[in-house]
Amino acid sequence: MIELAAATYGIRADDGGLKTLLQPTSLTITEQRTAIIGSNGSGKSTLLRLLNGLLLPSGGSVVVNGLNTAQHGAQVRSRVAFMFTDPLSQLIMPTPLEDVELSLRRKHRNAAARRAAALKALDTQGVAHLAGSSVYELSGGERQLVALASVLATEPDIVVLDEPSTLLDLRNTSLLRQRLRALPQQVIVATHDLDLAADCDRALVVESGAVVFQGTPDAAVDFYRASVA
Amino acid sequence: MRGHGFLTGAYIRGNSPLHKAPVGLKVIALLLISILALSLTSTIVLSALLVVTALLYIVARLPWSRLGRTLQASAPVVVVLGAFQWWLAGPVVAWHVVAIVLCTILASGLLTGTTEHSAVLDALARWISPLRRLGADPERFALTVSVMLRSLPFIVGSFQDVRDAARARGLEHNVRARTLPVLITTVAYARQTGEAMMARGLGDDDELG
Repeated sequence: MIELAAATYGIRADDGGLKTLLQPTSLTITEQRTAIIGSNGSGKSTLLRLLNGLLLPSGGSVVVNGLNTAQHGAQVRSRVAFMFTDPLSQLIMPTPLEDVELSLRRKHRNAAARRAAALKALDTQGVAHLAGSSVYELSGGERQLVALASVLATEPDIVVLDEPSTLLDLRNTSLLRQRLRALPQQVIVATHDLDLAADCDRALVVESGAVVFQGTPDAAVDFYRASVA
Repeated sequence: MRGHGFLTGAYIRGNSPLHKAPVGLKVIALLLISILALSLTSTIVLSALLVVTALLYIVARLPWSRLGRTLQASAPVVVVLGAFQWWLAGPVVAWHVVAIVLCTILASGLLTGTTEHSAVLDALARWISPLRRLGADPERFALTVSVMLRSLPFIVGSFQDVRDAARARGLEHNVRARTLPVLITTVAYARQTGEAMMARGLGDDDELG
């Protein structure tokens, strides 16, 4: 369960003033799949980054499964996996196998056990055949699946995805939707893909740094369409 | 960005004796080659060492293109250094300096080309672990070195990309147009990598060490 209590986030602007990227927000997310939709620059990514402690709230609090992100950032990050829009941003090692192994260094100190677990994680996402390839030679869809394997290898409780289908073609978007539907973890996904949002149990609409609507995906999409019309 | 694909330092899967050799042995060999190259005074022996180092690419069964790319990447530095030394001290000294630099670059290429990144990471963490009692964090140290090694090909590739972009705009002789974008790209890349590592909990105190 994720609880935001008057959580706000701001940065220092060039003129010295405070620029608020997320207005005080209070909400509880218990659904297995939640979509966050909204225009570019509306505050979706800021909201997502607060959920795994990548950003700490300027005011209020964010509590994930009982852990406050401000006080237990490391534990929160070990339970909340985060996927970036561009998978290349998060693939740190040169090959998929080594990247997944990097995620597993804490869990498996033994190199052979780590390798076996990494191969299994890649196999689960159907990309074990790419284990030794350069991450730079993979297609966008393959990279996204490798990134997914990398974050899921540590068996997180929650998976947060920031516009995961933005760089994907229709086929790979469809594949990613299938994979996300099959995940047992709680999933929070910010997306411009309204079909992906429709797969969720609940949707939030974010505009100008505030959650302006929350409800069923259909109702949220209608609200969003009306607001941008 | 072509920088992403510029992988002079990338591991090439293989089954050669060098691939099978322990990481420690390969690092010692790299150090020996470098020290030997630096200490040799005979031009003939130094040249022979360079040839032997290059021939090790055959032993490692690395493709010739790999050797070519490594030489191509180091050419600007080697040419400038060689020309400067020629002007300063004559052709023999210039050749010595060039041969020493090439020996170390080729030997480094052999190490990275035949050793998986994760194996280097494991070895570094193992070697640093005795310093744990002095407060050192072996995992963090190994991760730092690993990310640094991973970043070098990207930065070299960025130079190539920016050079091409400058050429396309007719600015190939504009130093600012050829360097400033590399600086900005590198800083952005460093921030991106840092954020990715943080998101994955890499480097968190309770995880490492």
